[in-house]
Parts: sequence; C-alpha cells; structure tokens
Amino acid sequence: MTSYLVRRLFALLPVMAVVVTIVFFIIHLIPGDPVSVMLGPDATIAQIDETRRALGLDRPIHEQLAKFYARILRGDLGRSYFLDRPVTTALWERAEPTIVLTLFALFVAVAIGVPSGIVAAAYPGSMWDRILMLGALLGVCIPGFWLSLNFIYLFAVRLGWLPAAGYASFFTDPVAAFRYMVLPAVSLGFNQSALIARISRSCMLEVLQQDYIRTARAKGLSQRTVVYVHAFRNALVPVVAVIGITMAILIGGAVVTEIVFNIPGLGRLIISAILRRDYPVVQGVVLVTAATYVLINLLVDMVYAFIDPRIRYD
Amino acid sequence: MRERKSLPLPVAALVAALLLLGVGFDAEAQKKGGILRVGNLGEPPALDAHWTTASITETLTNHIYEGLFTLDDGNRPIPMLAESMPTVSPDGLTYTIKLRQGIKFHNGKEMSSDDVVASLNRWSKQSVYGKDLFTQVTELRAVDKSTVELKLKEKSAIVLINLAVPNNFGAIYPKEIAEKFPPQEKVTEWIGTGPFKLAEWKPDQHIRMVRFDDYKPRSEKPNGYGGAKIAYVDEVRWIPVPDVATRVAQIETGELDFADDLNPDAYDRLQRSPNARPVIAKLYYWLVAVLNKKEGLMTNQKLRQAWQAAIDIEPIMKVVAGGKREFYRMDNSLIPAEITAWHTKIAGLPWNEHNKDKAKKLLQEAGYKGEPIRFMTTQEYKWMYDFALVSKQQLEDIGMNIDLQVVDWATLVKRRNNSKEYDAFTTGIGPAYDPTNLVVLSCAWPGWNCDEETQRLKSEMSKETDYKKRVALWEQQTKLFFEKAPVIRYGDLFGMRAASKKLKGLNEKTERPRFYNVWLE
Repeated sequence: MTSYLVRRLFALLPVMAVVVTIVFFIIHLIPGDPVSVMLGPDATIAQIDETRRALGLDRPIHEQLAKFYARILRGDLGRSYFLDRPVTTALWERAEPTIVLTLFALFVAVAIGVPSGIVAAAYPGSMWDRILMLGALLGVCIPGFWLSLNFIYLFAVRLGWLPAAGYASFFTDPVAAFRYMVLPAVSLGFNQSALIARISRSCMLEVLQQDYIRTARAKGLSQRTVVYVHAFRNALVPVVAVIGITMAILIGGAVVTEIVFNIPGLGRLIISAILRRDYPVVQGVVLVTAATYVLINLLVDMVYAFIDPRIRYD
Repeated sequence: MRERKSLPLPVAALVAALLLLGVGFDAEAQKKGGILRVGNLGEPPALDAHWTTASITETLTNHIYEGLFTLDDGNRPIPMLAESMPTVSPDGLTYTIKLRQGIKFHNGKEMSSDDVVASLNRWSKQSVYGKDLFTQVTELRAVDKSTVELKLKEKSAIVLINLAVPNNFGAIYPKEIAEKFPPQEKVTEWIGTGPFKLAEWKPDQHIRMVRFDDYKPRSEKPNGYGGAKIAYVDEVRWIPVPDVATRVAQIETGELDFADDLNPDAYDRLQRSPNARPVIAKLYYWLVAVLNKKEGLMTNQKLRQAWQAAIDIEPIMKVVAGGKREFYRMDNSLIPAEITAWHTKIAGLPWNEHNKDKAKKLLQEAGYKGEPIRFMTTQEYKWMYDFALVSKQQLEDIGMNIDLQVVDWATLVKRRNNSKEYDAFTTGIGPAYDPTNLVVLSCAWPGWNCDEETQRLKSEMSKETDYKKRVALWEQQTKLFFEKAPVIRYGDLFGMRAASKKLKGLNEKTERPRFYNVWLE
C-alpha cells in the first residue's frame, strides 16, 4: 500500500507540469489584457503600454513562461495583478468558503442521492422508483442558476426565512454561517444528488440480483436486512467513486452557486480572474484544483480497499 | 446588527454648529450610527485614485480621499481641500491656491503644501486628467505650509476642472505615500483626508470604511460632491455582489441598503417593493459606436456619414432600455443636459436622420463594395450587445455588411487599442465635465480622433478662459463632430440603482453615489 501511495504521489508531478503549462498557454494566448481592464475605459493607449511594461507583460511569452516555471519551483504562485496580494494568500482566503460549501452540498447530495437510489432499487418499477428517478432527472436537467434564483426568490424575498446571499465564517458566527449556507448547499446538493441517485440505484439493482442475496432472502431475512446489511456495502464502491468525483468537482469551484449566492470561494475567484485576465490567479487556482482533483481520486482509491477487502494495491 | 449610539461630543458640537449656521440639509432629522451596506458589481482594480479610470475605483476612493477642488450641484468646480478658489495672476499664468488648515490625514498627520505638491506630481504622471493638465504646467511648488503655486506655460482653461473631476482625480495623499509608490505602481497604503477611512479590504467579501472622527467638514452646505460632508453612518460596507439578480433580491430583503448597477427590467419589481425603491441615474452614458479612423474602411468619412445617416435611434434606445421610456433620452449634445454649462441645443445637426436614401447615396460616394465591417461588442454589458445587434440590422438594410464580433470585455478593451483588429466597437461615454475631457475627441484614445481641425479647436478651448468664447468654440466643435462623424452618437442611457427606504439624504443627482450626508432611519 505504501509503495503504491508513493508511486501515485510521484505520478502527480508530471500531471501538474502538463496542467500548468497548458493553462499558461491557454490563458496567455486567448485575447484580452489585464492592464486594459484595470486602467479603466478612459485610459489612453500610451498609459496602457507603460503599465504593461511595468508588469513585464510586454516580454516575449517564452520569457514569461521561464519566469513562471522558476517561481513555481520556488513554491511561489506569483502575485495577483488585480488583488494586490500573493496568489497563495488569495487562495487561502477562499479555501474556507469553498470547503464549507463543498461539505454541506456533498452532505445534501449524499443524503438525497443514496437513500433515493436504495429505495428505488429495492422497489424497482414501483411508484416510488418512478418518483425518485424523476426527481433525479430533474436534478440533472434543472440549471443550477435557475434553481438558485428561484430558491432566493421563494425563501428569502417572499418568505423571508433565510438570507438571499452572503457568507459568514463558521469560526466567527456559526448560526449566521449555517443560515447563509442552507440555500446554496441545497440547490447545489440537489443538482449533484441526481448522479449519485442514479449510480446508487443501478449498483444496488446489480447487487440485489446476486446469488448471495437470493440466499439471504431464502434464509427468511427481512427486506430491510437484505437491502441495508447485505446489499448496501457491496454496492458502495462505485457510489464512493461518484461521491469522490462530485467532491472534486465542488472543490474546483461550484462557480454558478458561488456567484449567485455571493460566496467568496474559489469558483468565484477563478471566474473573475479569467474575466479580468489575472494570469497568476488563474494559473494558481487551476494548479491547486488539479492537485486536489488528483489527490481526491487517490483518496477514493484508498477508500475502496477499506470498503471492499478484496481490493489490494500491493 | 446595526448599532445605535449617541453622538460623541465633538461630532454633536459640529452638527449643532452647522445647524446654527443654517447648514440644515432638509426637513428630516439626521440620525447617526449604523452600518450602510452597499452592493456593487465587483472588486476595484485599485484604491489608488491616480492610477485608474475605473468607475468603481472613483466611487470608492472619493469617500477616502479628497482633492483640492470638486464639483458642485451644477458640476462646476468648487474648493474642497483648497480654502477658496485660487488667485490667478493678471497674465493668467500663475495660480495661487491657499489650503485649508488643520486638515488631518487618517494617520493623524496634518496636511500641508508638501503633501499636495508630492501628490499632484504623482497624479500628473499617471492620471488622464493630470497628464493633460501638466502639459501646460511649468512648475508646481509649495510657497509656504499652506499655499501652493502652479505656474503655466500659457493661459489655461482646464486648471480648475481637471483638479475637480471625480474620476482618476488629483487625490491628496501624504507626501511619504505619494513618493513611495511610483506612478505606474498602485498605492497599497490608503491614507486620505476624507470623511471615511479604510478599515478593512477583504477581496470578494467586503471593503469596510469607517467614520474618520477627526474629519473637519467645510462650513458650506452640501453641494454636489462638495460642501460639508458629514459621516452619519458609522461604517460603509461595500459588498461585491457580481450577480445582478442577487443584488436586486438583497435590496428587497433588506440585506443591502443600496445596490448599484442594476438592470432596468427590475424597475417595476422594485417600485412594488415594501423595502426598497429604484433610483434612476441620469448622468450615465451616451451610447456610441467608435469608428477606427487610423486604419481600414472607417477612415473613409463618407462611410462614417452613411452609418450616421442610416440609424434610427429611438427604436434602438427602446430595446436597450428594456422598453422603458424612463431609461433613455433622445438628445444629441455631446455633454449631457445635467451639465448645463456645456449642454448644446443646435438645430439641424445630422443626427437620428434615419434617411436610407441619403445613407445609400453616401455609401455609393464612399465607393463601398460590401466589404465586411468588423463591429466589436460584448455581452458582458447587455446594453452594448443590444444596441450593436439592432444597429447591425438597420445598417444591413442599407447594404452595409456588418461582421458583428461578440467578445468578452477584456478582449474588447485589448483589441480596440490595435487599429488592425477592428473597424468599430461599442462603448458608453460617461459625462465629460469639460469639453476638453471628452475621450472621443482624443487622438490618444482608441478610434484615434486625430482630425486636425478637431484638435485645433480642442487646443484653443483648453487655452481660452473666457466662457462665452469657449461656448462658441464648443458649438463649432459639436458641428464639426457631426460633419466628420468620428464616432456615431446614439441616445442617452440612464442607469438604475436601488436604495432602501430607510436610507435618507441621498443625493441622486451626482454621477456616482456618495454616502456622506446620508443616514439610516
């Protein structure tokens, strides 16, 4: 297991190198200019050129790439043009909102998705199956922003039960933090629950047709015991994989949710950085997201071994 | 939670003194305290007033810093940190400016002429207005602790206005800061003399500005951007809310007290809101298609005139304003009606002619053979995209081949600097407080209006100090503008904001909002 882990961690390095290089070229080759955005609509062309020179943006792209690699090797992600702070600081400031939103949304997604999948699989073809899978279909089809805006209109504007948007830290005001997090977590979690429900259902259906389940039923065990004790754990491996992928997607930035609910997380950071061509921030966020993605995948692979004792990596 | 506190003694005494002096702002009683939450659309690129022309920076920095002069209700210069209007020598070449005494910076230091000289020197090297003014300046020096002197090469009409404009303005910083940060580098120590001081800047979360207790207001009544500035609220909290629908929802729920940059389609909903009301900002933009006069098809004046003759502006403005008459105005003055000194009413200008025959004839005279005209726009500003789309339709009706290129704003503002990349682009022109500040008459701004006659008139206007003669020159310039058609002027678009019904004392006439002299009930 340990040598497998070390091998996987080393494999991370070339992946990261490819990711940062591709991102560097994409962001530098698309048209647009951070200085023209920053200096505002009335800036003269001469002013823009002077500031570009001051920031080193007039240098050839290979020179900028070399400097970028040198910085990365020193562990320095650079300094945001727009935010006047190191990229690592900007990332660190946005980590908490994104992690909190991810965990809440993941909780909602799993709480809706897994039971829905199990119940639908336990009673295939029933009315429950149809209702729950229709719910899952809606979760996939309804655009996140539409659901979010309607939640805001209903629960904040009309009913006044919850705040429309914003963020408070759990470390400073847990009650406010919870109230701010309910709507984004539910709207995001509902969207993400769809895939989990579908996968849970199909995995459960597959397991419920196995011989050992027939044996369990033949022994006279109740439906509840058969489903929850005998089938559920064996159906979990693909479900865990999907939960892992969902988590990685959420960490990478629940962009629309963060923008609509005004949560100062990584998703919102990368969108604004792309729009204003804040190259160091885009590169930094992508680097961290890619690393997180790969690490979560690794973690999921590790979890397989705990769930299913037949899986061994040595 | 909003705090309600009693007035500290110095502020209470000051308010009482102002009331005794007749500086009563209106019949309502002002209340002190509370946090005013303002939702705006994003982060400022800097809180350095000298560094950028971005409007969000203008709005924010005008609460922290002040300049020597500012604008009154009629958008004319009035003193701010200057004690009074300057003394001008008989030859018009020396301006002596007395400074207010006992003015403190947020770090406790007293402002002196050294700070003014250092700040304006920095401003002169970076700001659009500073650079413009300092082409005429030979020397700026401190005469004594509270007097500065500005010497000019030639007579100038733009000294006061350029020192008073609120955008990219001549904010006075402490000398140590003005000299520490080179002009091309953003200031990251934010110390001014304004009624609010910066308490915290957490990007994407909030910018907190708190009342500066040592602020010494002027004795005059509030007047436009100037006069007495009293910080009634304890704190202004600027919250970036990028999604416009969320800003509307938050003002309705009372999570915001003021929301900026809203779309007209929320107007009816806000009128029905029990908590908020819509605010129409008349000093906003006139819509414009800027034509590339340096290179390509649009260097042909006849082709530009054909565009100008073809368009039917009212239907375009209706679309842009979401069908609401309250949000646009059909006017052709290059400076909006709210700036009375420079608003023109000239009959017979070739504007909004929607004369297809004339346009087709001009196309023929131009020798136009249906070559694609690259017209850049963006969907990031819906009004830009809408007016470009309807214009395309109208121009294609007369036989122009419009290649509408929809790009993001960052791409548009980059590409518009390169004459090889476009023939026209959309933008909005904000109010110029003096004709010499109008970017569409600049040879250094995208579109390159380097027409000799235009530049001659502009140069004359910047030197002519007699108002009547300046007006005559301005009318000449306006006629020349519609003859040469360097850009296509559409109608005036108004902006929409929203204010909580608890927010009182707001001056709705200024181009950008200010939150001194406002209070929360």
